[in-house]
Amino acid sequence: MRLFEYEAKEIFSRNGIPVPRSGYAETKEEVVEAAKRMNGPVVLKPQTITKARGKAGLVLFANNPLEAAECFARLQGRTHNGEKVRGVLVEEKISVLAEFFLAVTVDYTNAVPVLLSSPWGGVEVEVSASKRPETIKQISLSSLQSHLERHASELGSFLSKYISEVEPDVLKEQLQFLLGKMFHVFKSYDCELVEINPLGLRHDGTLVALDGLMVIDDEARFRHPELVKPRAQSEEEFSREEEFRKRGWTYIPMEGEIGILSSGAGITMAILDLIHFGGGRPANFLDTAQMDRKGIYDAFKIFHNNPNTKVLLVNIFAGLNRCDELSLGITDYLRDFNPPFPIVVRMIGNRDNEGRTILQQAGIKPLESLEEAVTRAIEEARCVS
Amino acid sequence: MSVLAFAHTNVLIQGITGAAARHHTKNMLEYGTRIVAGVRPGLGGERVERIPVYDSVEEACRNHPVDASVLFIPAPRVKDAALEALQNGIGLLVIHAEHVPLHDAMEVIQQARQRGATVIGPNTPGMISPPERAKLGFVPSAYFQEGWVGVASRSGTLTYELVFRLTRAGLGQSTVIGVGGDRIVGLRFAQALELFEKDPGTRAVLLIGEIGGSMEEEAGELVSRGGVKKPVFAYLAGHTAPEGQRVGHAGAIIDRSTGTIESKIRALKEAGVLVGRTMEEVVSMMKTSLAN
Repeated sequence: MRLFEYEAKEIFSRNGIPVPRSGYAETKEEVVEAAKRMNGPVVLKPQTITKARGKAGLVLFANNPLEAAECFARLQGRTHNGEKVRGVLVEEKISVLAEFFLAVTVDYTNAVPVLLSSPWGGVEVEVSASKRPETIKQISLSSLQSHLERHASELGSFLSKYISEVEPDVLKEQLQFLLGKMFHVFKSYDCELVEINPLGLRHDGTLVALDGLMVIDDEARFRHPELVKPRAQSEEEFSREEEFRKRGWTYIPMEGEIGILSSGAGITMAILDLIHFGGGRPANFLDTAQMDRKGIYDAFKIFHNNPNTKVLLVNIFAGLNRCDELSLGITDYLRDFNPPFPIVVRMIGNRDNEGRTILQQAGIKPLESLEEAVTRAIEEARCVS
Repeated sequence: MSVLAFAHTNVLIQGITGAAARHHTKNMLEYGTRIVAGVRPGLGGERVERIPVYDSVEEACRNHPVDASVLFIPAPRVKDAALEALQNGIGLLVIHAEHVPLHDAMEVIQQARQRGATVIGPNTPGMISPPERAKLGFVPSAYFQEGWVGVASRSGTLTYELVFRLTRAGLGQSTVIGVGGDRIVGLRFAQALELFEKDPGTRAVLLIGEIGGSMEEEAGELVSRGGVKKPVFAYLAGHTAPEGQRVGHAGAIIDRSTGTIESKIRALKEAGVLVGRTMEEVVSMMKTSLAN
């Protein structure tokens, strides 16, 4: 769950991380109001989940409230990589001596937090990461209870090599203060990432978060219910995603013709591969995590309602559940609906003989081989299209 | 022989009174697993399948020798339960729950590391050692057969699918470990390989991987360093999966060279691992190359 910049900065501010003064606005009146409060030149930043707004020319500068309103008019209704701009952050313009990059994220390999920093902030950080890897400092921390003092000192020495505008000791002191706050945010909000890019160095030697990014672990959403809300998606998309999440479903729409209903991420990916290798194209897939009779019935309706599905491939490997139960889910659906697509079922596992009988009575002849079922689905898709 | 779980491993079931836990406790016992006790706060004194239930891990450990714990605990409560097991000196934890918060998993794994304990999972169907008749988890044992192939897998359903094919091809298994599908897991491929390398009962290893993370690359590195002499095979899913979303610049910096299917296959092939493009292909490669 990636937060908007203004949300991250509100959290930063509440937790003692210095940020510029700002106001979030969704209407012209709110923009003017916020710009008045700033009482000076402002920056208007559209609040999108998609990054690289600057590169897209969407970050605008205004000298007074009137200009701010004009800028807002230019941003209103715009989209950024397909994402509609709803609100903007009106922020005081701050002049800085230097900008750099600082992030706390997770070292997935070692299961510990990792600190990342670069003297080159802004969009340049990825470029410098690949072209000049020596300018990226990466410090894996041994535990969540870390010796931030030591890390701040190490980081300060490293950055001081590139940043001559401030005394190394002042920088270290500032970093120690900031890292403590960042770590607190990282832990208390279950973050995958807390990123400040750019981090500005002001004339008085203090640091200020010019931009802020927080990504919160989706699995910990239950601990932060106040932050769960639609962002890049519409209300409907959001509530559908929430419903799927509650059921443990993963649904991904794609461009092809073959719908895939399967259980388990790994096997679903393997089926996608088999379809591609065989020259077919998946239309969408639904990974149901664990299939049951009701789940399979509901899942069929998802495909039913998607006009892209020209063929439905169902994979059942009943190791823990039972083929007869799942087959009943399919026949429940066939009783209530007339499927707009041919159905190919691959089924093996517990009680597959019983399941086969149930499906055959409903006019479906399940296959035992996954490869054969994929081939059949690809052929059916060719016939339909 | 096998790795990690043996006929003599004394197993505790945390959360034993839940419906799924009861069902799988019965299955594990029928398979031959030596389950000695269960835990469910508030229900101490009860019995599940004749196994005594205690209020705490501490109490269970006071009354029984316990080597391993299988946690049938919902994700939000995994951390506390796992830490309780570790604090009582249990050396092997199997964590089934999917959707365990990242920071909770980190803390459990760090604690385990400090205590020298092994964590399997989170998000794993568990592990099974057919030669030892020991099953810690809920893998459907009907498809598993005694033999000498060690299997480590990131995906539950893909494990069943491939093991089913191995068994049909006459390639039985020494131990099958679902290492877990989460971004953070305790035991990783490279560590599983090291265990299999030391196990005289294992003669070849199959890794079942997928896109994302760096476990396959680490395994490749271990093999190319000469850390594994036994033949290693791999199947990876996700050649054509839609690309996942990265998190900010930091993600791009860290994941620059790992995680893609190409980088994984390259790392494995360069190390001498035989990689099958499909499940059928990897099984037939194993059949051919292990026949003589």
